[in-house]
Amino acid sequence: MTEVSAVVKPKPRPIIRIGLFLISHSLFVSIVCCIAGVLALLLLPVLAKNTYISENALMPGSASAMLSTDDASDGHVFVNKIMSISSMSINSGIEIPEMIAKHIIESGGEVNYHKFQPLSDSFHPLQFFVGPDAGMVQDNYSSTSYGVNTVGIVRAPRGDGKEAIIIVTPYNSVKPTTSEALSLGVAYSVFTLLSRVSWLAKDIIWLAADSRHGEHAAVAAWLRDYYTLSSGDLEHEVTSVKRDGVSNGFRRAGTMAAALVIKVADSSTGFEKDGLKIYAEASNGQMPNLDLINIVNYLAVHGQGLQVRVEKIWSLLDSWWLYSLGELQELIGKVAKSLNPGWKFGIPASDYVEGCTTLASSLYNQALGIPTGPHGAFRDYQVDAITLEFSPRFSSSQRVLFLLHVGRLVEGVIRSVNNLLEKFHQSFFLYLMTSPSRFVSVGTYMIAFALLIAPLPLVAAALFSDASKSKSPGESIPTSPAWNWLYTAKTVLIVHLWGAIVTIIPYFLRQFPDSSPLISLLTWIASSAVLLFFTRAASSSLPFSCASQLQTSEWTLLKAVTVAAAFIGLCLMSVINYATAEIGALLLVPMCLMAVPLRIDATAKTAKTVARGACNVLLVFVGFPPAAFLLSKGALSSFDGVRLDDFWNWIESLREWNSATYIYICMVHLPCWVLLALAVVAAKGVALFSNIQTREQMEAQVHVASQKAESHINDVNALITGMERLGLELFGDEGLEVPSLDKGKRIENVFGDPIPDAINVRPPDTVHTKGSGSRKVSRKEAVIRQMHKPLRRCKKCRELVRHDSRNCGKEKEKNKSK
Amino acid sequence: MATSFKFKPLTISILLLFLYNAIASSASGSSSTTMHTNNWAILVCTSRFWFNYRHMANTLSLYRTVKRLGIPDERIILMLADDMACNARNKYPAQVFNNENHLLNLYGDNVEVDYRGYEVTVENFLRILTGRHERAVPRSKRLLSDEGSHILLYMTGHGGDEFLKFQDSEELQSHDLADAVKQMKEKRRFKELLIMVDTCQAATLFSQLQSPGVLAIGSSKKGENSYSHHLDSDVGVSVVDRFTFYTLAFFESLNMYDNASLSSLFTSYNPNTLMSTAYYRTDLYQRRLEEVPVTNFFGSVMETIHTDSPYRAFSNRYYRKSKTEMPSDQSGGGNRRALKDLDILEELADPKLNVRPLQSTYLLVHEG
Repeated sequence: MTEVSAVVKPKPRPIIRIGLFLISHSLFVSIVCCIAGVLALLLLPVLAKNTYISENALMPGSASAMLSTDDASDGHVFVNKIMSISSMSINSGIEIPEMIAKHIIESGGEVNYHKFQPLSDSFHPLQFFVGPDAGMVQDNYSSTSYGVNTVGIVRAPRGDGKEAIIIVTPYNSVKPTTSEALSLGVAYSVFTLLSRVSWLAKDIIWLAADSRHGEHAAVAAWLRDYYTLSSGDLEHEVTSVKRDGVSNGFRRAGTMAAALVIKVADSSTGFEKDGLKIYAEASNGQMPNLDLINIVNYLAVHGQGLQVRVEKIWSLLDSWWLYSLGELQELIGKVAKSLNPGWKFGIPASDYVEGCTTLASSLYNQALGIPTGPHGAFRDYQVDAITLEFSPRFSSSQRVLFLLHVGRLVEGVIRSVNNLLEKFHQSFFLYLMTSPSRFVSVGTYMIAFALLIAPLPLVAAALFSDASKSKSPGESIPTSPAWNWLYTAKTVLIVHLWGAIVTIIPYFLRQFPDSSPLISLLTWIASSAVLLFFTRAASSSLPFSCASQLQTSEWTLLKAVTVAAAFIGLCLMSVINYATAEIGALLLVPMCLMAVPLRIDATAKTAKTVARGACNVLLVFVGFPPAAFLLSKGALSSFDGVRLDDFWNWIESLREWNSATYIYICMVHLPCWVLLALAVVAAKGVALFSNIQTREQMEAQVHVASQKAESHINDVNALITGMERLGLELFGDEGLEVPSLDKGKRIENVFGDPIPDAINVRPPDTVHTKGSGSRKVSRKEAVIRQMHKPLRRCKKCRELVRHDSRNCGKEKEKNKSK
Repeated sequence: MATSFKFKPLTISILLLFLYNAIASSASGSSSTTMHTNNWAILVCTSRFWFNYRHMANTLSLYRTVKRLGIPDERIILMLADDMACNARNKYPAQVFNNENHLLNLYGDNVEVDYRGYEVTVENFLRILTGRHERAVPRSKRLLSDEGSHILLYMTGHGGDEFLKFQDSEELQSHDLADAVKQMKEKRRFKELLIMVDTCQAATLFSQLQSPGVLAIGSSKKGENSYSHHLDSDVGVSVVDRFTFYTLAFFESLNMYDNASLSSLFTSYNPNTLMSTAYYRTDLYQRRLEEVPVTNFFGSVMETIHTDSPYRAFSNRYYRKSKTEMPSDQSGGGNRRALKDLDILEELADPKLNVRPLQSTYLLVHEG
């Protein structure tokens, strides 16, 4: 029964064995994982699913559009009025808001003006954690250049007034262009229609945002005031100057269910149909619920016959390698289909290229973390919003028809959102678009990312175990690797702290507003480098080995800790903004895997090491953020237009929009890059952080400690042997072996009694308690039973009754006595 | 209990005679031979939300039909889980339509909703069936049926395999329904019960039924969906379900004097137009469907017994001239319906024909 085995040592659990196996084969595993990760990313357009409307309540297109040609021509008249004001020479920027307000009141809506001043941009590095700051309301309107938003509200006639749908039309109040006037016309025709209809359940807010200070700023300012009770708010309510029925007090209408930003493109599409471009990316790669895009796409394609597009990177569209990749996957798909008709994957090569370019744009826009339109301001308040940019087929003629189509689309979307019972919640929030009707959900694209970063912990663990195994031969004192690990971690931490300081430097550079971007950038880089030097000086107390004795174990340890830090940073970033993490992983992971000191490569001059060294140098170059940015920019357009100060502008914009990508670049990517670059280029560089004297002190301490341990070594040995003996006495040879008894035996062991073969003890028979089996006859039943008996003649009263002579008359008495 | 002992001998003898008559007419008192006394309808719409407009329209259409065919309001228990008529999204406030043509407002005058909104729960539904109410529940909200009642139970909403969703939060399972019906049978709360269900996989809801006298029809078999009939693009929602639509179409051609049988209703469903297979379960039902007029359930038509006088049984005297209608309080054991039609009265005015059922003449009787 029991197996006699010589090895007493228990087998580790399977998961540990798998882990150990993976770590020991980390090179192979990491290569496979990396390639699979990149392949999975390239396969995403193939894996994309068709969009579908997930929320039952929406029912887009189930109601016929009510917007008539009359409404559209009213809108056209409105457009013409705006254009006539616009063409007037003197324009203070208040005429158009007044005109809009007048029209809103005529159509039966409420209206108010919202004056705002653009906020001076300030850096709030943690804004994406805490949401927009409610406290930064500025009340001084002393400056002359404030913007005036016009807000019109239609109250739902039978609604509860707790929810609202927003239409936003940004326009320049001083000099609106024709296309801006057209977007206002669309909003006006829809707004007048909605003020008449009886089916509204949510209020409608039309925000004609003054885009003099930028579209986003105007919308953001209005939203900030909508969600905060400003100090002037209550005063305005009381002493609001009623002028033509226009209130100066701030008007509100419930929680926002969704917002549509309507824009009209300046240029005509050149297509046969009117075009519609959907922008959805908000700050930090947040997306509105996919259902909102779905209903717009559904209504535009099936209802109004518009050509719907999402943004794509055009320069990628005719790249030969993408096309050949597309053809390759098409071929594989065909082969697979010929093998088994049930396997249906592979899409046409042109579709694949289209999908790739759209996906790349989607990925890039999300990674930037900068909203692609005014809708971004809504997402900061968890309101689903998108920008619809219409491009008319013809530049000027057939405007009424254009207004009709677009107006009906907007009406349809609003009616659909109006049907919504809760917030958008049913469909996806984390997705990438590959076309207006196809998307990749988080479950799919996370696979690519997970495969890409999976090697990092493996490599870190493998390096750590290498470092702990290889004792440096020159060392006389046996040093524990755990100690060194801590010191290396300290080094990595200090470099990351340096990264945090680098993050803040541009804020100080902004104090010199007159400097050109190039100078700013160079100052930034130079100051960062100087700081790095100072950091070294400041951290001179770091106990670390000196340059001359930098051994393999030490740079491997450094690399292990850096890789682990990169892994943690990437994982954290993937939670905040997937796209940034994905692109960052594409840059960082190969560098993490390849980095080997050039000096080591140089000593062994084989072809392999030379190639590895070259790769390392290339990766280190590409990994430097400005280089990566400029290279990708050059690859996508042309290298002629690439200038160094583009990077500064780009970084500036990231910073101004409070993008988490900026923090990622400065606090994760840059420190990791610095550490790896130092490890590669100047392995000595690591030693910059060390100090010889302190090292010697440290060595002495370790020496003393180990001597102390040695003095007690005999006691420890005695303890161990004693325990082993005890174990042998208690358990014998098969001490830790798991008894492999069958289940029955184990149960017997637990109960201490064998399972009987024949069962003699049985449960008792059912017990009949006294009185069971008979029940009380109900009054009704008794009566029924009585009736079946024949009547008897009573001798006393001589009638056919149910009593006899003895009881005759007693029944009456009985009843009486009661 | 104390009061029950205070019966005067006269009261007791009246009671005895009543019972004697009831037993004489119904032999042993089992439901198969009990007289069909009255008709009840329980109409349930179980789903909330504006996009389920059609379920309320279904129920209200059926309410209108059974009312038209003669079941009075106090014998209809109408349960509507949401109020579409007053929904802010309704383009026609306070109106509900089941057709695109908007000719018929289902939510007009005289709609008595017994359970509305969040009152429509599985608990309340089972309480209605089994009659186990709290004491405060008024009589108008109770199913006061007896062992001679024919009950129509119509349910619509969203269902699945062996369940029906109530209010987007609870479910009525086929076991619950079967158990409630069993209790009803034991408590002699019905003679015959027609369960009509319009949901997806409606047939699965009947799988646990065991009680005799139950006839069940569902809009779709297991694994099938039930579909809405058409969309009203003016209101912006689907307004009626296919199964209910064709049921209503069948009944629209009928009036309360028609003799169409249940089998003609059941065979009228065309799987192609229904886009699902209507399923009916008859193994618990004793009568042949060809012989049962639909108005036995959807109207209030029943075999009637002529008596001249409610007092005849006691006094053994025969008032030829009396045409008294018996008050229709069903608390007594045997209900007798008086005929208004004088000619038939004259023809049947034979003391021997006291309990003779009318073989071919169905007459509508408005009760109460």
